[in-house]
Amino acid sequence: MTRSSAVPAVPASTGRGVRVARAVLVVLGVALIGLGGWVLTETVSPTRYGGLLIWLIGAVIAHDAIIAPVVAGVALLVGRTGRRIPAAVLAIVQVGIVLGVVLSLVVVPEIISKARGPKNDTVLPFDYGARLGVAWLVVVVLTALAVVGWTVLARRRDARRAA
Amino acid sequence: MRQLLLTLRTAASSPTRNARSATVLGRLLGAAFLICLLTGLYSHFLQEPASWMRFPTSPVWLYQVTQGIHITAGIAAIPLLLGKLHAVFPQLFQHPPVRHPVQVLERASIALFIASSVLQLVTGLLNTYQWYPWPFPFKQVHFALSFVIIGSLAVHIAVKLPLITRYWRARDSYDADGRFVEPSGELDPARAEHEAVRELARLRRDDAATATSRPGAAAPAAPQPRGLVGRVTRWIDDAREPERDPARSRVSRRGFFGAVGASTVGVVALTAGQSFTPFEPLNAFGPRQRGLGPNDLPVNRTASAAKVLETAMDPDWTLTIAHGERTMAFTAADLEAMAQGDERLPIACVEGWSQTAHWRGPRLVELMALVGAPSDRSLRVTSLEEKGGYRVMLMGPEYATDPATLVALEVNGGRLDLEHGYPARMIAPGRPGVLQTKWLSLIEVI
Repeated sequence: MTRSSAVPAVPASTGRGVRVARAVLVVLGVALIGLGGWVLTETVSPTRYGGLLIWLIGAVIAHDAIIAPVVAGVALLVGRTGRRIPAAVLAIVQVGIVLGVVLSLVVVPEIISKARGPKNDTVLPFDYGARLGVAWLVVVVLTALAVVGWTVLARRRDARRAA
Repeated sequence: MRQLLLTLRTAASSPTRNARSATVLGRLLGAAFLICLLTGLYSHFLQEPASWMRFPTSPVWLYQVTQGIHITAGIAAIPLLLGKLHAVFPQLFQHPPVRHPVQVLERASIALFIASSVLQLVTGLLNTYQWYPWPFPFKQVHFALSFVIIGSLAVHIAVKLPLITRYWRARDSYDADGRFVEPSGELDPARAEHEAVRELARLRRDDAATATSRPGAAAPAAPQPRGLVGRVTRWIDDAREPERDPARSRVSRRGFFGAVGASTVGVVALTAGQSFTPFEPLNAFGPRQRGLGPNDLPVNRTASAAKVLETAMDPDWTLTIAHGERTMAFTAADLEAMAQGDERLPIACVEGWSQTAHWRGPRLVELMALVGAPSDRSLRVTSLEEKGGYRVMLMGPEYATDPATLVALEVNGGRLDLEHGYPARMIAPGRPGVLQTKWLSLIEVI
């Protein structure tokens, strides 16, 4: 690969307004990052920095190395095996799965926290596991109804076109 | 390595992963983070004000709403951040990874943003569940990271500004067939480089094929990348095939935004009932339920956690009010015999849940008048609690002189439950719940 000077390092500015806004944002951004760092050193004991760093790096690894590749892999697999399935059906199913997974991401820690024992009865008062199960059921039923509804409408449309 | 990065980038690309999707989700996510920052700062300064700061006591629901929005916007940011990261995932596999010193800063700012925002959302959510599995203090780190997030976001926006303005509007982003209009090489150098390398590889393959199929030589099949990488590449190209149809890729994009939209609406609708009345019937997953608890009101710090089980139930309990040398002690009977004020005020927790309740008790202004307290002074309020971050609370004059501020003895028509601060608690308009001191012991003019 030849290193061409024509290729900029980052998206090139397109006008004076963009250049000025960029400069302001960079200065503001660096200042805010500095402020955050200063607040951290002022309020958090240095003995905790190691643990914080591990959690920060862990957050990136959890996303970039686990969640994102799994999602990309599943999407690829579905894209390939589902080539004969109408795109709209795939899209509807995808909406259902993503909704269920995101709800689970939010609720599963709640289930764990409840199992560990809340500080009093008014904290985490529900049976979150059962409720998540019901939510998945509702999502599956709604997704199935949407798929059936779309299929019926598509057939009618095709029949009209054929007529 | 290059081949691997190329393969990964191609594998990760899809119709939904383009600069327009990133712009649309980026705008929403940026708004959510900005709302969280502003409402968070308001909550922070309510709890740790500079000496000159004064806050509005009206409308009484102000803090209830700002903090409810803080938590709700934070929850909404979870699917938005996942969607946004999904839209830009192929950028992870740039080749070469770094071409220029400026790019080191760009990628560092993105790494900082992802790390701090993912951690912020995870710890913020778990805080509302009162679960702290990490080895650092939540409040301080949450506060410090909020600046790091907005700062790294500002740097990121600065870097991408030409792309953001290019794809700000939908009609500039897609052609008449609904095909995404790729950015020029200047606007997206990483993508341009990726395309160029792919093109080069294809030409080389074609060259090799021409060379080996010269007349006279045995005519082998056109060589393809061999081995595992080749098979994976072909498999991926196959999987990508349907997306070249613009109608299909349009549906795929709609599915993507439908998924992000549905999950954002879903998590918000099913949790916001802990903070907002219209969502109350839908509160399936909120960590709190309005109306549940002693006096039909949720509890945060219990009497046993505060170690006040004996002192609060002591029949000789008195509330002492001090203004310099002038000191008065009130028994529970004294307070009950005074003129009682009635107020509908919300109790609003930093963790986002809130509930408006009907409070009854002597008005603080009338109590303070008995010791001749001037109206421009702050108060120091001490609880019976033996220890704890909120044992001593400072109250600015705006709350101390507001007629709605009560030394509450009753809530929702019953005597204050021990868990809610029996024998007497403070309730002032527009303050976080942790500052509505329970189990009152001493009020001093300072």
